[in-house]
Amino acid sequence: MATQARKWEFVWRRLLQTLPVIVFATFVVFALLKLVPGDIALTLAGDNATEQRIAEIRHLYGLDRPFLVQYGSWLWKAVHGDLSVSLLSGEPVLTSILRSLPNTLLIVAIALLLALLAGIPLGIGAASRPGSLLDRGLMTFASLGVAVPNFWLAMILVSMFALERNWFPTTGSVPLGENPYEALRHAVLPALALAAGGMAEVARQLRSSLAELLSSQQVRTLHAKGVRPAVILWKHGLKNVSVNLLTVIALLANRLLAATVVVEAVFAIPGMGSLIVHGAVHRDFPVVQGVVFTMVLIVIVINFTADALYRVVDPRVRS
Amino acid sequence: MSEDTKDTIVISRRDLLLAALSGAALSAVPGGLAHAQAAPRRGGVIRIVAPANPSSLDPATGGAGSDHSTLWPIYDTLTEWDYQTLKVVPGMAEWSTPDPQTLVLKLRSDKIVFHDGTPMDAEAVKFNLERNRADSRSNVKADLGSVVSVEVVSPTEVRIKLSQPDAALPAILSDRAGMMISPKAVKELGAESDRKPVGAGPWKFVSWTDNDKVVLTRHEKYWKPNRPYLDGMEVLIIPDQATALRSVTSEQNHLAYNLSPRYKPLADRAKNLTVSTGPTLYCFQIYFNYSRAPLDNPKVRQAINLAIDRPAFVKATQGGLGEAAYMLLPSSHWAYDKQVAALYPYDPAHAKKLLAEAGFPNGLEISFGGYNDQDSVRRAEVVMEMLRKVGINAKFTNGSIAEISGQFFGNEKKFDALLSAWTGRPDPSMTYSLGFAKGAYYNAGRSEASPELSALLKESRLKEDPEFRKAVFAKIQHIVMEQALVAPLAFRYELVAATKQVKDFRPNLLGKPKFNDVWLAS
Repeated sequence: MATQARKWEFVWRRLLQTLPVIVFATFVVFALLKLVPGDIALTLAGDNATEQRIAEIRHLYGLDRPFLVQYGSWLWKAVHGDLSVSLLSGEPVLTSILRSLPNTLLIVAIALLLALLAGIPLGIGAASRPGSLLDRGLMTFASLGVAVPNFWLAMILVSMFALERNWFPTTGSVPLGENPYEALRHAVLPALALAAGGMAEVARQLRSSLAELLSSQQVRTLHAKGVRPAVILWKHGLKNVSVNLLTVIALLANRLLAATVVVEAVFAIPGMGSLIVHGAVHRDFPVVQGVVFTMVLIVIVINFTADALYRVVDPRVRS
Repeated sequence: MSEDTKDTIVISRRDLLLAALSGAALSAVPGGLAHAQAAPRRGGVIRIVAPANPSSLDPATGGAGSDHSTLWPIYDTLTEWDYQTLKVVPGMAEWSTPDPQTLVLKLRSDKIVFHDGTPMDAEAVKFNLERNRADSRSNVKADLGSVVSVEVVSPTEVRIKLSQPDAALPAILSDRAGMMISPKAVKELGAESDRKPVGAGPWKFVSWTDNDKVVLTRHEKYWKPNRPYLDGMEVLIIPDQATALRSVTSEQNHLAYNLSPRYKPLADRAKNLTVSTGPTLYCFQIYFNYSRAPLDNPKVRQAINLAIDRPAFVKATQGGLGEAAYMLLPSSHWAYDKQVAALYPYDPAHAKKLLAEAGFPNGLEISFGGYNDQDSVRRAEVVMEMLRKVGINAKFTNGSIAEISGQFFGNEKKFDALLSAWTGRPDPSMTYSLGFAKGAYYNAGRSEASPELSALLKESRLKEDPEFRKAVFAKIQHIVMEQALVAPLAFRYELVAATKQVKDFRPNLLGKPKFNDVWLAS
């Protein structure tokens, strides 16, 4: 019973800790949007702007209210589940987010999967013979993955697999619920472009922690006891580095979410990245706030999940 | 103001690389099929790539110049213009001016209906004009400033009373102010009309998802016989131009417009594409704050105009695809004036002399605002170098369009000059009053350049006679250019890349493509 209560306490504490994070993050973003020059009223007034019209629009949209009042009114609404509407287009922000988020999540999920599928074997391969030609070859390959910018890789992929050979579409995305096959087909190239860096990171991190572990006294003892190298690697090695790996995966997932901004532009995918860029460029703060709010939530969920998983894989955390 | 580039998010190095790479890829695409010219075919859904998310699909409440290409299909306008010269022609209505302060509009058909089935009649016209003129959400109030009242004479005729003669009004009614929206829809929807537009144009609205696409389908009761050809239209919003062009090259989409000349070689190389170009009113120019030193001195402004080698500018910044601008109208426009265009040949020696006379024998520093996308930066570099040769040190501060233009035109009054663009208007009087009238927003200093100019701006709206107006505009242009209130640089050319399936697309001088005549070959 005691452990059960502790578990719930852990969950509640974590959830309470996230509240100030959300308020702080949205406040900072709001302040930045207001501090940098550029006024959405100019955009809203359009091509035939007059000073009078600009002033009218400021008043109409409440942009002439004090800074804190504007933020407060946004927060108050957000707390009540209303993320407002885009100042530019009038679309409810929640609608935009609910439409864009699946597009982004699909790419990130596939990219993460690809990064793990390729990165883990590479890392194990390299760590099993540290310093060997195989190790150095694999790590050079991985460095390349980190060094290649994803937008460049994206363009190479498009020109090879979408323009020269018509295997994949060049742009756009299809909702998963509408047509799963087409949705995946549209997501492959962007996910590949995203995955390269992640794959390299997973491989390098796994290699270094695994190599360190394999040269530890504990492993030497296991060797001395006559345990087979394969068992050492799979049973003792991977189990011990799984905590590190979890950290890497959580960080990677968070980073991939951010990296989609560029890849979404190259592939014209209407995801969270396009949404926030468009919003930020035009100072459409309800949209930016909404996206930041959602992203913070997602990152918190990812970190929370990682923390919870630590408790599963590492008995030391539990006590 | 280059409002319609404001959504183009350009990430410079990426674009360069992209251009180089897709160039290599495009050259590998095998040659397209040659189609024989045939009669327009009915049917098909065209997929058009637009550079920006619409600001609103309600013509009265939107503001961006980039909206029009999505608005034209949904809304028919009271008047229209000739694609090549922008001369006003009848649209849904014909007009006449029984006396200078009255404009009569007569609908060309009594069978025009909105997409919701309600009649597009004189009552609807009255409702629209009054809404555009007075509604708190209307962005086109100033356009209809001369309208006093609108009276319904018969189901197909309205009589508009004006506070003063306004010869620009027929042209104004070819733009936002003349796009007719269903009164029933506006009354029922309120502010939601922004996202659920109901017009009387050839295609009716289906859906709009922000930064993704706008879907339109055929208006079965469209008033023009046998039109439209296309069953529907999907407008895909792709701000990145290289991506836009790639999606057309791969034939995933049919047509991309407003492309930068940078992409012309790429589009040309793709054998499966048809490339259309044509002049537009969109003018790259240097705005001056002529209300304060140093640019309050006309000699300095004239020197800047003389220092610009315009043909070289077109070559360097637009790959030769463009027209040198010596005034704010291109040579194909009906009110173009040859004499004005001859005022500023490239003459650096003369420029230096003028600067010396103005008290700057050793040159001077002028602060410039500029934009940070790749094309804008290139333009800034060229201007900087040309000005340097006559002793002007142009000190640029670059930033986003919203930021820099706000600082220059708004209350901050930062920078002496701004390197930007003017998107053009259907009637030249709009261009000149919006840019140079006393207190106008795009007149950064808000000061009156000369009483004569103010009088002429009024006079240009007195009579509708084209010859009369041409003469008045010649005088206006003469004053604007002689006093060098602006330094026009070059007109942008429309660059449209389309697959061979797309037929009868024609660019227009306004630079805001219309697709009313377009059809798809099978």
